Amino acid sequence: MRIMTKRSTWALPYAIFLVLFVALPLVIIILYAFQDTSGSFTLANFAKFLNDPDAIGTFALSLEVAIENTIICILLGYPAAWILANKKLNRSAVTIVLFIMPMWINALMRTLATAELFHVMGIQLGKGTLLVGMVYDYLPFMIYPIYNILNKMDKSYAEAASDLGATPWQVFWKVQVPLSMPGIMSGVMMVFMPTVSTFAISEFLTNNKIKLFGTIIQENINSSMWNYGAALSLVMLVIIGITSLLQDNKKDVSGGIV
Amino acid sequence: MPEKLKNKMKRLLYMFAAALMLAGCSQGRDNILKVYNWADYIDEELLGEFEQWYKEQTGEDVTIIYQTFDINETMLSKIELGHEDYDVVCPSDYIIERMLKSDLILPIERDFGSTPNYLGNVSPYIQEKLEQIEGDGKNANDYCVGYMWGTVGLLYNPKYIDPQEVCSWDVLANPAYKGKVLVKDAFRDVYTSLLIALNKDEILSGRKDLESLTFDVSDESVEMVEEYINGFRESVAGWEADFGKEQMTKELAWLNLSWSGDAQWAMDEAAEIGLELDYAIPETGSSVWFDGWVIPKYAHNVKAARYFINFMCMPENAIRNMDMTGYVSVIGGDEVLEEMYDSDEYGPIDVSYFFGPQADSACVSPVLYPDGAIIERCGIMHDVGTEKLLRMWSRVKGDSASAWTYILIFLVFSGLIFAVIYKYTKNRIRQQRYAKKRRKRNQQKMSR
Amino acid sequence: MKKFFAQCYIWLLLVILYAPIVFIGIFSFTESKVLGNWTGFSTKLYSNLFTGDMQGTGSLMSAIENTLLIALIAATVSTFLGTVAAIGIHNMRGRGKKAITFLNNIPMLNPDIITGVSLFLLFVFLHVSQGYVTVVLAHITFCTPYVVLSVLPKLTQMNPNIYEAALDLGATPFQALKKVLVPMLKPGMISGFILAFTMSLDDFAVTFFTRGTIGLDTLSTYIYTDARKGGLTPELRPLITLMFVGVLVLLIVINIRNIRNARKAEE
Repeated sequence: MRIMTKRSTWALPYAIFLVLFVALPLVIIILYAFQDTSGSFTLANFAKFLNDPDAIGTFALSLEVAIENTIICILLGYPAAWILANKKLNRSAVTIVLFIMPMWINALMRTLATAELFHVMGIQLGKGTLLVGMVYDYLPFMIYPIYNILNKMDKSYAEAASDLGATPWQVFWKVQVPLSMPGIMSGVMMVFMPTVSTFAISEFLTNNKIKLFGTIIQENINSSMWNYGAALSLVMLVIIGITSLLQDNKKDVSGGIV
Repeated sequence: MPEKLKNKMKRLLYMFAAALMLAGCSQGRDNILKVYNWADYIDEELLGEFEQWYKEQTGEDVTIIYQTFDINETMLSKIELGHEDYDVVCPSDYIIERMLKSDLILPIERDFGSTPNYLGNVSPYIQEKLEQIEGDGKNANDYCVGYMWGTVGLLYNPKYIDPQEVCSWDVLANPAYKGKVLVKDAFRDVYTSLLIALNKDEILSGRKDLESLTFDVSDESVEMVEEYINGFRESVAGWEADFGKEQMTKELAWLNLSWSGDAQWAMDEAAEIGLELDYAIPETGSSVWFDGWVIPKYAHNVKAARYFINFMCMPENAIRNMDMTGYVSVIGGDEVLEEMYDSDEYGPIDVSYFFGPQADSACVSPVLYPDGAIIERCGIMHDVGTEKLLRMWSRVKGDSASAWTYILIFLVFSGLIFAVIYKYTKNRIRQQRYAKKRRKRNQQKMSR
Repeated sequence: MKKFFAQCYIWLLLVILYAPIVFIGIFSFTESKVLGNWTGFSTKLYSNLFTGDMQGTGSLMSAIENTLLIALIAATVSTFLGTVAAIGIHNMRGRGKKAITFLNNIPMLNPDIITGVSLFLLFVFLHVSQGYVTVVLAHITFCTPYVVLSVLPKLTQMNPNIYEAALDLGATPFQALKKVLVPMLKPGMISGFILAFTMSLDDFAVTFFTRGTIGLDTLSTYIYTDARKGGLTPELRPLITLMFVGVLVLLIVINIRNIRNARKAEE
């Protein structure tokens, strides 16, 4: 009964669960990454990655596609988010929901639908279709956080700036963009990392011609090259670490759609 | 919360707890047969029938646990590294070779007591091919019983492609079919087939023999094949793992370097919607492959495994598996030949290599059982040069990173670093300026 | 004028964004096996889907059942686990709280594939044979953080004295929980449940890595296997269409009121 009354201990089951299913698995990734198949310490998995032109090429290509995808998503998504958040230009709540909705549908399904459309239109699958398909998949993830932050933004800053004689262009670049930076950064997080790590999607969009880094991990894990697969996952974890450093952690703009 | 929903949730929680407990304890292993096979590679009704048949033959109960894989290597490493106790598995030719070399499989005892031995139904052609497997002096026929076999060839749409053209692999490079060609994403099959074809003249003149070619991964040979693939890679619309047959029936592609089993499946499917597809093995040469049953070293129920293999070799079961999967069973003999015979549909060809001398002009599908003259120019693949061939394969599949890739990555990352440094120094300068001002102010105060 | 261009841009983007799915939707009303080939209006694909009468894909129904059951179990367990945890976290201070919030954020930050691979390696490491149970455990892992995050704000809004008052008035902690805490946290629990349920329904990568080799299929792995064989089985067209419409209606109902209210409050 004493335990029941001290409510901070209620988190204990979940804490144990988290250690077992979140912390321990990550430790195991690190463990496997630095082991060979017989279980002794080695750096060979990373050496293999650096000496494997296929893996390095795929890695670089994934970064390229992810960068391009992110840039296109910002260029297309920012104006859209800006219009959606602007009450003078858009009063309809339906359009907002329509932009959010794809986030709730399995990316695989949307990708397949896109690939089928390309087939029917007779478009040759390749790098171009990959990029278009990726933008299809991830644009909502860019629009939503930017919209959220623009929506919550205090309009008086922009008004003050224009009262003080700033041109609309200056207001946009000097006030709006810096203030919406956390939204952009969280959009970048939601677009960049998933693009690098998707598997299956790039195969469907390119007829297996291009694979991304996630596919290499999946192939290695599936053919039981666990140690190498773990090493590749660790490389990805490091990138996640670096990108999340860029993000401003104090403001939470994502999540909480319902 | 409504009472109904509460009950439902309770029930689900119980189910979950029960599932947890079930996973914890295991049943008596002696009465379980663990089968590990390719996905969609058997008539699954046969599994239940085997349990019954086994009871009839031996009086013992057995329950099959049936699991499937998509990649040979997945299966292999589960056994090699995980020491999993599968009783009977179905690897491909070169993996059988690898398992034999690394002592991972047990010899198959052929004494079944009162039960007839059906293992002899395996066609002599396949037995001969099994003998070619390089197993450190061990004969693969003692360790493996074939299951399915097939060839590597070209599935094509005669509406767009002249049947005359597919007698050579050169059709792949025809610019008229650019963007309409699919190639199976199977490096060993493509390499071996092309290597044999490219050495046609050497084989005919006796300078090289087919069997030694199937072991050949010398630099010149790999380079030769790579160059040949580079000659047609511009035409390739995709490297298919499994989607070739579907895209062929939808006429999205016209030509598909594929396996005979897939080709047969696609032709049947296409016929249903009134489309004609055909399959040919280029006359210059190609390769054959087969999968076979083996009993891994860590097997627990060897007896049931042997009976399972025996059961699969019964002609009627072989025919049912063929109907279900579209692949061709290795079982020869008159019963299968009779089933396959169809003089309305096919012209006579020489399949005596497979069914025995009486079949030198039998009316069977040339897709399933190619003419003897073609089969003569087909070799089997061996387990050689995996790393080297994989590297070649990823080079020719290409579409990997280009100079632009690295430039872009460099630009973005240096841009990021620059932004961070800029922000940092700006703050520093600002702080220094404040500090200076403060110092000045303090000095003024002091002097006053 | 500016508004006109803005609306044009928005709708153009939406049209492009939705073209593939509308296309699938249109062709779910024809029988043709080949997509893009209209052979007359028919609802046969829909009736096939519901009667389970289709060529060689009998396991689709069991995949749907698996998906729903896994989502239901995972969402229920994580709602329970997450709510209890949220109450605990709310009452924690200092380093412990920081650590647990940090761990709680990891599954949301990690790409699916990392969650999947790491759990796969965990099960391999612990020699747990993979199947139904491991998939459910994995789903609970990535669902619970969302529940915790939905319940926590409700706890902050709550007056802490009410619970204490209930205890002081002689309620056992269990009674106090049932009669006081749960009713107040209910909205957060419900939205956490819905979030967890949809997350679980949507998941592909984590299921893919933790389902083992026993042939367990959820809808997304089923679709993946099917698509790898070269394009969708015709019956999946109505299925995808129905799912889209379902989610759209659900979201519109939930969101539009919220957005309108928020806007009114602002003005």
